[in-house]
Amino acid sequence: MDTSLFHDLGLLDCVIFKRIEPTKYEVLYNAQDWLFELLPETKSQKSFRFAQNSLYLEDFLIDAEALWISKQPGSVDSGIWSETLPSRELLQLEASAMVCNQQEYLVIHKLKDKFTQKQQTLQIARELLLSNDKITEQHEHLHAQMDELLSQSERTKAFQQPIINALEQTDLGVAILDSNLQLVKGNPALQTLFNDTHIALKLPVDRLILELFKKQYPEYDRVFSTRSAWTGELCWLNPPEQGKWLKVAIHPIKNADQALQYWMFSVSDVTQIKFLLKRNEKLTHFDVLTDLPNRQYFWQQLENKIKKNRPFYLLYIDIKNFKRINEVHGHLIGDQLIKDLAKRLQSVTRVDDYIARIGGTEFAIIMETDYFRKQFASTDQGQCKTFVQELIRASELPFYLESGSQCEIGLNVGASAFPTDSNDAEELMKYADLAVFAAKKQVKSSLEFYSKKLVDASLKRIEMEDALQKAVTNKQFELFLQPIIDISSSKIVKAETLIRWRLSDGSIIAPDEFIPLAEQTGLIVPIGKWVIAEACRFLNELKKTHQEIKLSVNLSPRQVADRQLLDFIKTTLTQQDISPELLELELTEGVLIDNYDKVHYLLTELRTLGISVSIDDFGTGYSSLSYLQKLPIDHIKIDRSFTMSIQDNEQDQGGNSAIILAVIAMAKSLKLGVIAEGVETDSQKEFLLRNQCHIAQGYLFSRPLPFNEFCKLLNTKN
Amino acid sequence: MIQKKICILGASGVGKTSLIKQYVEGIFSEKYLTSIGVKIDKKIVDLSSEKVQLMIWDIEGIDRYCGFQAKYLRGASAFIIVTDRTRSQSLIEGNEIFNMAKEVADIPGILALNKKDLPTTWHWSDSELADIKHPFAKSFDTSAKSGEGVEEMFSYIAKILTE
Ligand SMILES: Nc1nc2c(ncn2[C@@H]2O[C@H](COP(=O)(O)OP(=O)(O)OP(=O)(O)O)[C@@H](O)[C@H]2O)c(=O)[nH]1
Ligand SMILES: [Mg+2]
Repeated sequence: MDTSLFHDLGLLDCVIFKRIEPTKYEVLYNAQDWLFELLPETKSQKSFRFAQNSLYLEDFLIDAEALWISKQPGSVDSGIWSETLPSRELLQLEASAMVCNQQEYLVIHKLKDKFTQKQQTLQIARELLLSNDKITEQHEHLHAQMDELLSQSERTKAFQQPIINALEQTDLGVAILDSNLQLVKGNPALQTLFNDTHIALKLPVDRLILELFKKQYPEYDRVFSTRSAWTGELCWLNPPEQGKWLKVAIHPIKNADQALQYWMFSVSDVTQIKFLLKRNEKLTHFDVLTDLPNRQYFWQQLENKIKKNRPFYLLYIDIKNFKRINEVHGHLIGDQLIKDLAKRLQSVTRVDDYIARIGGTEFAIIMETDYFRKQFASTDQGQCKTFVQELIRASELPFYLESGSQCEIGLNVGASAFPTDSNDAEELMKYADLAVFAAKKQVKSSLEFYSKKLVDASLKRIEMEDALQKAVTNKQFELFLQPIIDISSSKIVKAETLIRWRLSDGSIIAPDEFIPLAEQTGLIVPIGKWVIAEACRFLNELKKTHQEIKLSVNLSPRQVADRQLLDFIKTTLTQQDISPELLELELTEGVLIDNYDKVHYLLTELRTLGISVSIDDFGTGYSSLSYLQKLPIDHIKIDRSFTMSIQDNEQDQGGNSAIILAVIAMAKSLKLGVIAEGVETDSQKEFLLRNQCHIAQGYLFSRPLPFNEFCKLLNTKN
Repeated sequence: MIQKKICILGASGVGKTSLIKQYVEGIFSEKYLTSIGVKIDKKIVDLSSEKVQLMIWDIEGIDRYCGFQAKYLRGASAFIIVTDRTRSQSLIEGNEIFNMAKEVADIPGILALNKKDLPTTWHWSDSELADIKHPFAKSFDTSAKSGEGVEEMFSYIAKILTE
C-alpha cells in the first residue's frame, strides 16, 4: 500500500528510535526534516546519545528508562510539549516509550490536528471559565457588601450614601426589591443593560426579569416562598434581532433577626459568553467538566420522552453540603469530585435512562419504568427506590483525594412521576425540585417523592418558619432553669438554661420541636443570642440577691460557626457586669467533630476568658478520646439514655452501666468533671453516688423552672 | 555554568506564559492563547558573582480540565505560583496548588500577584493576604504587560538558588 496516504493522514508524522543499550539509541524510522533540526545528534552516526537538545524529552527518559528496565510489555506517554526550532518553527510533540517483543522503543509524534482540536476546545472552555468566574465573583462581592450594608438599614426608601455608592460603582445591574417584590431601588447599570438593543421595553427591567424567571424556571414559587437564594441564566428573545442571555443572582437580604428585608437581584449580560459557546457544538450540548448533557439539552430530551408517552420518573439530584466540601478541600478537588461522582452515577444508570448535569451541583435522571404497564403499579415506587439506593450507595463510597485524605458525598434526591404527577415537562421539573428541597432537610442522603402531602408539609413548614420568625422579632421566648445538684450534699451547684417558646394563646412549645427548624433557617443565631443575653440578665439578678450560681447555656452548630459569637458574649458579660466564671457553654459531641478547627479556636478563647465548657449528650456521638484530650473542656454530661438504663436490679443492666462506669473513669483520668443527665429514680441516684459521680440533673431533683420559682428553690436548698 | 529548573504554576489565564515572554523576549500580547502541555525556555542570568542558566518550565494552567502533575516538578529548584489580581479565585487555587507542590518537592515557592497594571478587584483584607503569602519564600507584585516586578522576581530566584 502507498504510504503517502498514511503520511497525508498525519499517521506517520513521527520518528522511531530503538534503544540499543542504556543511553544509546538508533534511528529506526525518520521521514521528517524536523528531527535533524531538533536533535542534530541523530544525523550522521548509526547510533547516538541525547545531547541536551530537548530538555523535556530527556526528562521523560527517566520515566521511559523505568519501563525499559522492567522489560514489561507496555508503554508510557510523555504528555504534550512544545519546542521552538532554530528556524523558529513551533512543534507540538508527544513521546511514548514502549516495550514490544522484548525490544525497547521510543516514538516521538508530531501533533497536528489532534493538538489544534484540543487547543481550540480548551481555549473556549477556559475563556468561558474565566469570564464565568469573574462574573460570579462580582455577584458574590456585591452580595457580601449588600448583606452588610442593607441588613442594618431600617426599612426605608431613603438608602444611606454607602449603599448608593456601592450600587453606582458596580458594573452589575442591580435591583433591590422589598419583600413583596416591589422595586425599591435600581442602579444605573440596570437601565443600561438593554441600551444596545434599540428596543423600547414594554416592562421595567426588574419586572421583565421576574417575568422571564417565572416563565423559564419551575422553581420560581419555591425560591420566593422559602426565601432561598438562586442563580441561573435567563434568555430574553427579541426577534427578529438577536436576543440576550442574562446571568441573574437572586439573593435574600435578612436582618440580624433573620427577617427578610429585601430581595436583591444582580444581573449581568452573558450573551458574549453564550456566543462563544456556540462556536463549538460540543459545548452547546454538553457540560465540559463531566461530559454529560447540559441543562438545555436535558430539557429537549425530557420533552422527547414525554412525547413517547411511556411512564418514567424524573429524578432531581443535588449534592449534599457541597459548599462545605469546597471550603474544606478546595475548588480544584471540588471539581474533581463532581467529575468522579458523574462517572459513578453514570455507571449505575441503565442504557434506557438519561442523565444530565443541570446545574453546578445538580444532576437529573430520567428513569424509565417498565414499558409494558400503562399505569404505575405500587411497586414502581419500589423500582425507583431501589435505583436511587444504588445511586446513593455509589456516591457514598469514599472518594480518595490526591492529598491522601478521603471524602464522602451525600445526595438529596427528589422524584416526580410521568404521567401520574404531571404530563408537562415544566411541572415535572417543578415537582421534582420541590421534592429535592424536602430531601435536603434530612441529615442523611435521602429520596423524596413528590406528593400532595409533601406540598402540604412544606407549606406547614413555611408557616412554622414565619411564626418562629415573628417569635424572634417579638421575643416570645422564656428561659427556664433546671438545677444541677451535688447529690452528696443535695445542694444546687449550677443550673442549665432551657428555652421555651410561648405562643400567643399561652401554650408552650418545647425546644426539640423548634430548635431543629431554627438551626436550619439560621434563626438559631438571634435566638441563641437572646438566650445568652437572658442568662446574663438572670446572673445579674442573682448577683443582686447574693445567690451567685453558675448558669450553663446550650450552643448549636450554627452558633459555633458564627464569627460574632465571641464578641457578643464578651460585650454581654461586660454590660451585665458578670464574671465569666459564672457562665458555662454546652456543646454536643457532633459539633466538636464537624467543626474541629473552629471549635478549637472558640474553646481556647473561651478558656482564656474564664468561661467553662461542657460536652452535652456525651456517649451518643462518636467523640474519641483524642478529641477530648486536645480540646480545652471542663465537664462531660452523660446522656440521659444511659442514666435511664440504670435499673433497680444491678445484675441485669447489660452494657449500659459499663459504659457509664467507663465514662466516669475516663473523665477522671482526663481530669474532667462528670454530670449525669436525666436522673429520675432513687436507685439511679444511689448508683451514681456509689460510683463517684456526684453531680446530677433530672426530674428526681427538679423539673426546669421559671426564674422566680428557681430562685425560691435555690433559697431553700442552699 | 550552573543550570536551574524553575516551574511556573497557577490557574489558567493568570499570565504564566506572558510573564515568561516578557522576561525572556521582552514582549507582551493582549491576546490569550491557552497553553497545552509544557514549554521550556532558557535564559541566562548574569549575577555579579557568576552566571546561572534558568530553565523555565511553562506549565499549562491547572484547573478543572487539567489537574496538577507532580512529575513536572522533578528536578526543579524552585517554583513560582502565579495568581491574577483581578480574579480572587485564582489566589485560592494558587494556594491549593502550593500545598500540592510542597507535598512532592521541598523547594522554595515564590508567589507572583500578577496583572498589577489592572485595578485590583479582589477583596482580601491585608491580614488574609498576609496569611496567604506567609508560606512562600517571597511574593512579588508583577505585571507581564508593563514588565514591573518581572526581572526582579527571576533575579531574586537566581540569587537564592546560587547562594
Ligand atoms: N493587563 C494585563 N494582562 C495580562 C497580564 N498578564 C497576562 N495578561 C493577559 O492575560 C491573558 C492570559 O495570559 P497567559 O499568559 O496566556 O496566561 P497563562 O497563565 O499562561 O494561561 P494558561 O496557559 O491558559 O494557563 C492574556 O490575554 C494576557 O494578555 C498582565 O500583567 N497585565
Ligand atoms: Mg500559558
